[in-house]
Amino acid sequence: MNRTGSLYVTGNSLFHRLDGAVKLVLFMAWTVMTYMFLDLRVFVLMLIVGITLLVTAGIPFKRMAFLFWLMIIFTVLNGIFILLITPTFGTRLTGTNTPVIPLGYNTINTETLFYVLTLSAKYLTLLPITILCIFTTQPSAFASSLNRIGIPYKIAYAVSIALRYIPDLTEEFRSTLNSMQARGMGISKEDGSIMQRLRNLAAVVVPVLQSALHRIDSVTNAMELRGFGTQKRRTWYNGKDMEPMDWIFAVLGVVLLGVGIWLKVKLLKNFWYPFS
Amino acid sequence: MQPIISFQHYGFKYKNQSEPTLKEITLDIYPGEKIWIAGPSGSGKSTLAHCINGLIPFTYGGEAAGSLKIAGQNPSDLSIFELSRTVGTILQDQDSQFVGLTVAEDTAFVMENKTMPRQQMKQKVAASLNMVDMLEYIEHSPYELSGGQKQNVSLAGVLSTDADVLLFDEPLANLDPASGRKAMQLIDDIHRESGKTIIIIEHRVEDVLQQAVDRIVLMNEGRIAAMGTPDEILSSGILRSYGLRPPLYVEALEHAGIPIRDVQGLGSPRLLDIPGLKPKLDTWSEQAGVKQERGYSHALLEVSSIKFGYDPMHPVIQDVSLQIGAGEIVALLGNNGAGKSTLSQLITGILKPQSGRIFYDGQDISTWSIRRRGEAIGYVMQNPNRMITQHMIAEEVGLGLKVRGLPAAEIKERVENALKICGLYPFRNWPVSALSYGQKKRLSIASILVLEPKLIILDEPTAGQDYHHYKEFMDFIESLSSRGMGFLLITHDMYLALEYAARAVVLSGGRVIAEDSVTDVLSSPEITEAAHLKETSLSLFAKANGLSSPERFVQAFINEEKKGKGHE
Repeated sequence: MNRTGSLYVTGNSLFHRLDGAVKLVLFMAWTVMTYMFLDLRVFVLMLIVGITLLVTAGIPFKRMAFLFWLMIIFTVLNGIFILLITPTFGTRLTGTNTPVIPLGYNTINTETLFYVLTLSAKYLTLLPITILCIFTTQPSAFASSLNRIGIPYKIAYAVSIALRYIPDLTEEFRSTLNSMQARGMGISKEDGSIMQRLRNLAAVVVPVLQSALHRIDSVTNAMELRGFGTQKRRTWYNGKDMEPMDWIFAVLGVVLLGVGIWLKVKLLKNFWYPFS
Repeated sequence: MQPIISFQHYGFKYKNQSEPTLKEITLDIYPGEKIWIAGPSGSGKSTLAHCINGLIPFTYGGEAAGSLKIAGQNPSDLSIFELSRTVGTILQDQDSQFVGLTVAEDTAFVMENKTMPRQQMKQKVAASLNMVDMLEYIEHSPYELSGGQKQNVSLAGVLSTDADVLLFDEPLANLDPASGRKAMQLIDDIHRESGKTIIIIEHRVEDVLQQAVDRIVLMNEGRIAAMGTPDEILSSGILRSYGLRPPLYVEALEHAGIPIRDVQGLGSPRLLDIPGLKPKLDTWSEQAGVKQERGYSHALLEVSSIKFGYDPMHPVIQDVSLQIGAGEIVALLGNNGAGKSTLSQLITGILKPQSGRIFYDGQDISTWSIRRRGEAIGYVMQNPNRMITQHMIAEEVGLGLKVRGLPAAEIKERVENALKICGLYPFRNWPVSALSYGQKKRLSIASILVLEPKLIILDEPTAGQDYHHYKEFMDFIESLSSRGMGFLLITHDMYLALEYAARAVVLSGGRVIAEDSVTDVLSSPEITEAAHLKETSLSLFAKANGLSSPERFVQAFINEEKKGKGHE
């Protein structure tokens, strides 16, 4: 996280230029697609598209490394647990059973291996699009586009104001924790049992919360004095108008979703297993 | 000429209070005037500001008496937004005021709310930022700006609204001396160039008077106690009785026994037309300005050439060494970002130095944990509210002992002792919420004292306190030091250092650039400039009046202050 509290990385790729609300539409369409299918062919196609977009966005890998590894580790662990706990789950989907790896108490079969592969691909398709949306959208521009698609500006602005003050609060929390630690009420090993350490942590929350409430009060005053909330609408310095490209992508998102639903209903109804 | 703001027999009582906060205020402010509203905390000056900018009655309800007209209209007939077209406010807390994620967005905030088209807005943002010399920071986030720069951005936002009245609520509260001087200069430039009405709410006398003001309105206990030009107010000698501190050179004149009644030109340190002034002051400096040599006391804390950097290639602390003796008060001076707080985190063990060592009472404490260091070296944060976690006073003080598992009887005894030292014993069974800010500050010290440290690090101990509380608190610290405790004051208040600290260590860019007596440090232009300090008004005054030894004059003042300890 950079010091502005947002994860935005400046750039000028296709995704950087797209309107925030359009990105939201694309993201939702993508997510629905992912959850509808259980078909490796679809996921491979989506992964190729997603990764291409991600590479062209030019986000340094260092910045997204945390999110990337988190998703990979989650997916791998998930796969291992499925294989260990339900080594023959695939049979239920295909009706066939081809044992390969003996576990002692049971045997993992090819069907389950393929199921785990499909499921992992399914989760991973969400990775590039999530990273794209988070890292290429400026929070205030996002607020303005939310406002344009009909969300009241007071709610839309909340996103941006929260990002503004979260770093202040974490800083406050850290310094309070430090001063408590010096009084022997820290959260490190030497400060007592787990219960005691949890109690210490809870005690620090009190002053930080109070100071946050106080902060809300003064921020509200500052915003009111500058005319926030008095008009029915507001304009946005960081907003931009919908351009033809935005419309194209919004329509494209909806069309693809339609195609996806048609495919699901007509052709790719179930788990795809090529070896049966 | 019609006044732009007119209070007539105005009074105001907050909804939940039994006593009115403002009483019988009659005040006319004319277009183009520069007014300074002064007064101790609790005098009603902030409430008066709220009445002018509309937070009263729109955010804080209550009962008003008499009449108030702003630009000829009753504010309660308008909305807070309509009112903001006449009165633009720059708040004290720059972090709360700065709501945008970038400089440009924050400047545009009012225009956005006025639904100004984007193209026009972009031009106006650039023009306003240009006026306050912040255009090159347009894409910066608030975390990349200093306090003074944030304040300038707020000012740009208000200037873009074309409000006729600019209201500054404690503009100097969070600025270091050099930034404070720049801020007052900028306010003055805008006043002269635009002819807008300027209202400044402050309690720091000398800093406000760096630039001329037309009138001072002195508030006390909800009433206007006095009103007049700076010369009239200063030469009447009434400031101190209202909890405000006169400029130091005026105090020095009083110490030297020179009558100031009806003297012209006291508003800034300049040549005064008083017959025989120079010989009188020279004689006084000669007599009173003897530098007191301090005896050597053994070093309680010794920091020896430590180095630290989050990124080892760019150390934020480089080769820093310093010593604090028993019973000594040492000031750690330096601009924001000089490494003051990093150094205190290294001493308390929150951060570990990459090289160098720290000794406490002769022992190397490099291996000590934060907790163990906490028993020897107390750390008191600037804001006591950030340290207090318990509901009752005695519990808060005893907390540190309780977690160490001491027997209840011993805890009780030590808590009562600490409360007695801090003058809080009568309140031992009260809830924390019943204490004033200054008392909470003492409470946070009591809860450190109870652990019986020999050394305390105080972070900006007097920030946000008026002169009366400031003096009371620092005299208390001094009495603790005479019991043999050592103190490290982290501050950018030069006068605090001047009067209370024997020595100053000046940090700049992570290095110690000076370690000397405070008087000597503050009289060196290279050091003061590097550390965002400024030359004291005392030495400016001494030079303007051609005194033979400005240093001795400053020393004489310090000695008199120490001797007198209060004009109460």
